[in-house]
Amino acid sequence: MTAENEKVYIVDDDPAICEALSNLLESVGIVAEPCASAEAFRERWDQAQAGCLLLDARLPGISGVELQEQLRTAGVSLPIIFMTAHGDVPMVRKVMKAGAIEFLTKPFQKEELIHAVEQAFISDRARRREAETVDSIQKRIDSLSEREREVMALVTAGMLNKQIAGDLSLSEITVKLHRRRVMEKMRAGSLAELVRMCERVSWPGADAIRS
Amino acid sequence: MTATAQVALSGRIVEYGVKPCMIAVFFVLIALLWTFPLQPVIAYPFVFLFFGAIMGSAWFGGAIAGGIAVVLSTLVVTYFFIPPMFSMSVAKDSQSFLTAFFACAIAITIVSSARKRAENAIRVARDELEVKVEERTAELVQSNLEIQESERQLRMLTEAIPQQIWRANAAGRVEYCNQHLIEYLGRPMEQLTGDLFLGVIHPEDQPLYRRGWQTALESGGNFEVEARVRGADAVYRWFLVRSIPQRSRKAEIARWYGIHIDIEEQRRAQQSLAAAQEHLSRLSHTLSMAEMAASIAHELNQPLTAVVTHAYACREWLRAQPANLDKASATAEKIVRESTRASAVVSRVRALFRKDVQVRESTDINRLIHELVRLLRDEAIRRDVSVRLELAGNLPRLEIDPVQIQQVMLNLAINGMDAMMDSPGPRVLAIRSNQHGDNEVLVAVEDLGPGVAEEIADRVFDPFFSTKPQGTGMGLAICRSIVEAHDGRLWLERSARGGAVFQFTVRAQS
Repeated sequence: MTAENEKVYIVDDDPAICEALSNLLESVGIVAEPCASAEAFRERWDQAQAGCLLLDARLPGISGVELQEQLRTAGVSLPIIFMTAHGDVPMVRKVMKAGAIEFLTKPFQKEELIHAVEQAFISDRARRREAETVDSIQKRIDSLSEREREVMALVTAGMLNKQIAGDLSLSEITVKLHRRRVMEKMRAGSLAELVRMCERVSWPGADAIRS
Repeated sequence: MTATAQVALSGRIVEYGVKPCMIAVFFVLIALLWTFPLQPVIAYPFVFLFFGAIMGSAWFGGAIAGGIAVVLSTLVVTYFFIPPMFSMSVAKDSQSFLTAFFACAIAITIVSSARKRAENAIRVARDELEVKVEERTAELVQSNLEIQESERQLRMLTEAIPQQIWRANAAGRVEYCNQHLIEYLGRPMEQLTGDLFLGVIHPEDQPLYRRGWQTALESGGNFEVEARVRGADAVYRWFLVRSIPQRSRKAEIARWYGIHIDIEEQRRAQQSLAAAQEHLSRLSHTLSMAEMAASIAHELNQPLTAVVTHAYACREWLRAQPANLDKASATAEKIVRESTRASAVVSRVRALFRKDVQVRESTDINRLIHELVRLLRDEAIRRDVSVRLELAGNLPRLEIDPVQIQQVMLNLAINGMDAMMDSPGPRVLAIRSNQHGDNEVLVAVEDLGPGVAEEIADRVFDPFFSTKPQGTGMGLAICRSIVEAHDGRLWLERSARGGAVFQFTVRAQS
């Protein structure tokens, strides 16, 4: 289960709760790192670390809800499981809308917690895979020459080779040549796959089309 | 010498010289002329005639004319009638006669001129008096007009003031009401009977009003009271009735001047302010209860969460293959620790609600009830509830915490008023005190509300049980615990008139 070296950050101001949760997660083989406050978490957290956040909604200083907001603003999509002694409906609605995995009411059953953590890990893995894919496509696009990118933009826009040649004032043969190189560099098996890749990274952006 | 001085001087010469001379000569000549024809008829007629001439001269011409007449008469008498006749010489035997004549003549002159002067003086004085009387009469007429004018202005002023103004005699009989007051009352002042406006005062305010008026009458001080006055539309409005006495010279009260100031709006504002305050205090009360409950729940929940979580972990450590006994044992320790922590929270909460210091004071329960009624007065007026007391005399003194017992009674009274909130009938809250058994006093609070339904009658004393939307459900529970802490009993009965009777007993001082 911890094959990917995942870790659960526990943020609760009550050390007894932190300790108990760590103990329980440890007993089922999940690595946990307790933090006494939102500030302590931000110091210890490593962006590269896979895992999730088990966060008390009510904390002295920066509250759990505020921490979620801060992470979201910073573009961090670490999955968050909220927990509280008494959650009111507006608060639950707010954090769930902001993308929380689960909202647990203390005290909770082991199965609830484990299930939520597993969900969070699955979500985190998917997120990471997605990020990796996007990253690699972007790298491939970056490796294209200026001319190849122009050709790819027109190809993915659905133009025929002849039209592209006209547009770029090239011979049709040259266009075909560029087109094959694009397919190779992008490691795309078909035009459809190339289009999907571009869509995934939203390429070309609105600026590129205009130019 | 100036011309005016000359005229004045000549006027004076005529006044004191010529005029007296002429008068004296005129009278003496008449006397002389009458003497001759009368001489044969009576003896010595000249004596009377000349005396008459002197008297006339002195009367009409004054002392100077009289003097001249005396001299002339003496000369004429000496010449014509004193022997030797027709000569100015006087015979030896006539000298005494002449002297007597002269003396009499002088005396007549003095008396006559003095009389004349006195008469003149009286006439002058009378004239002056008449002038003075005329002047004074004119002044009186003028000041009368002024008084009338100022009275008219004063009346206009009292009518113009947008307040109700009146005047009453020393005994409080109303003699004058301004138009505003007559319009408000809707009846002429002749129909007002009794002390001042007692007849139009709200029955509930009458005792206070009468007392205030009696005090003012006895002490002669100002009278001021807030009371509801019935208007022409039979609706009562709150007024500030204020009156001051006017005193006579002898410092006795001559009349009362009064004003009715409409304070209905003010009163309403005060009431709504008080209501808002009460609402606020109730709200803050329930809020603090809720906050406290939340805080206690949180305090308890933390260790319980830890206990539950550790227990799950413990089970996992034992289920592992092979079982991790060290971890399981350490976890069990933590379960014990957290359970103890939870227990400590419970003890702390209990300590919070327990009152360790017990106050017991020797107390007169009736005095406590009277104090309570004072506390309730405003609330009762606001809710239109009349409070009736039926207190037994000669009750034994109680050994109680007066604050707590008063809280119990206050709670029961407010509950009773709440119960009558929507009651259409009369709203009467009766508070009774009675001897109960040999050694107990019973206090009963009875309302005329709908009563407590049978099915909830045995639950009203339960904590957190309430029929009111804002109720905490703690009132009667606390009341019962207070009464029981006093070795007493608090219970509910159905009133013969349909309402609820909450009554409690307290042991008397041994």
